[in-house]
Amino acid sequence: MREIINEKISVVSIYSSKKRCFVPYSLSWQNRDYKIGKIGFRHQIKNGNTLHHIFECVDNQNTVWFRLNLDTKNLSWTLEVVSDGLVE
Amino acid sequence: MDLSSNKPLAFDLPLNTARPLIMHIDLNSCFAIIEQQANPLYRHRPVAIAAYNSPSGAIIASSYEAKALGIKLGINVRDAKLIYPGVIILTPDPPKYREAHKRFKKILLRFTNNVRPKSIDEFEIDFSGSQVLRNGRKLEDIGLDIKQLIKQEIGDYITVNVGIGTNRFWAKTAAGLHKPDGLDVMDAGNARDIYDTLKLTDLTGINVRYEARLNALGVHTPLQFLDKTSIFLRRQVFKSKIGFDWYCRLRGWEADNVVWGRKSFGHTYALGQKTTDKQVLSRLLMKLCEKTGRRLRSSNYIAGGIYLSVLFENQTYWAKGRKTHSPIYATQDIYLHAQQLLNQIIIPAKVTNLAVSVYNLVPACPWQASLFEGTRLDNRSLADTCDEINDKFGEFVITPAIMMGMDNLILDRVAFGGTNIIN
Repeated sequence: MREIINEKISVVSIYSSKKRCFVPYSLSWQNRDYKIGKIGFRHQIKNGNTLHHIFECVDNQNTVWFRLNLDTKNLSWTLEVVSDGLVE
Repeated sequence: MDLSSNKPLAFDLPLNTARPLIMHIDLNSCFAIIEQQANPLYRHRPVAIAAYNSPSGAIIASSYEAKALGIKLGINVRDAKLIYPGVIILTPDPPKYREAHKRFKKILLRFTNNVRPKSIDEFEIDFSGSQVLRNGRKLEDIGLDIKQLIKQEIGDYITVNVGIGTNRFWAKTAAGLHKPDGLDVMDAGNARDIYDTLKLTDLTGINVRYEARLNALGVHTPLQFLDKTSIFLRRQVFKSKIGFDWYCRLRGWEADNVVWGRKSFGHTYALGQKTTDKQVLSRLLMKLCEKTGRRLRSSNYIAGGIYLSVLFENQTYWAKGRKTHSPIYATQDIYLHAQQLLNQIIIPAKVTNLAVSVYNLVPACPWQASLFEGTRLDNRSLADTCDEINDKFGEFVITPAIMMGMDNLILDRVAFGGTNIIN
């Protein structure tokens, strides 16, 4: 089931100069920590002059999918949507 | 050899035996596979993308797993769930698909600059004279490289069909032979064998009406179609140059190397809540005009005509276009003319679809100075300033008052055939 959350959350992210990539590593949501597994897709959207990076990823247990939004203007993370993959 | 502009030839044209240098690449079940790429929990499961996640929302893309169950394009969500209750219904995410399209194009441009997007999920690449073939590399190997790069740079779940041919038609036909992860070449050596496995409606550009026309004249298979003379196709079947184009196309000669220019800008909206209320329609019309105007101005055009079409619940429609005396540039110009057209309608039933487009486009630069420049009747600078503010602070930050409270109505959509805005 997909649920719209739109909550600011804490995210640990890493940047690898070797791979030249920036990815979320883990996140905390509802008093639980999730380690990020696979990043499915990353894309960017612009809201006016503000660039947002959207990361769609699953936890390392492959049980929960997250859509994370990094606002590059204020460097905040928003958990936009979660899904457990089940049908509504 | 490009025969698209030639007069019909008097001699029999053989199958084109030249080296196939046109590649057609097609991203499978584009929107659905990108969603499956983005969400690994949806992989290998039936996924359908619907315009709206409501029972009557139309399915606009479905994954291979959904297609195998019979969930095809055009059916509604209610029917899709009746076919398979476990189908995952998602709504479109255009920025994601545009990003995939851009990355797709970036990969192809590494091989040649002669890359032409046909739609958001299809590209044609002409390798004639390309440097990558100079060291004797085969086009099939380049196709395999492209598949590999797509997996690395767009996503490991993404598969594409690659078709290679001497013309665009053969390349496109070859790309459709072994879905979802094919790589095929169609040339003079195997063209007849391939046609033998296809139906008339499998040929791109032949649908039921052309099929009926061909059937009526005794053409029932692609091979029979291939064996007909140019005169027969031109004079008896298609009754125009189209017959000669088909004659060339089927033989592997280029008939489709045409770049169509931008003719219009427009926007369509399928009403979630159907209505006969003209005030509600006016509000929707304003939003359609604003979206159309934004695209018109960002592409640096002015228009000289406007077209409004309205579809009603009783399956009737009303449509009217008209040329305008003054150039159309600002949203207010579009809305004024569109509203005048809307006022002419006698609404017979609830409105289900509303569409506005502007045509007779000319470049906005150089600009013909107006007698009213600098006065309150000069709405060009107002439109440009509003656009600048919306560019800086986000879409619809400044909107006409009539559009207040309409943020989530008339969503961003991907035009299947149009990639001009993306590119």
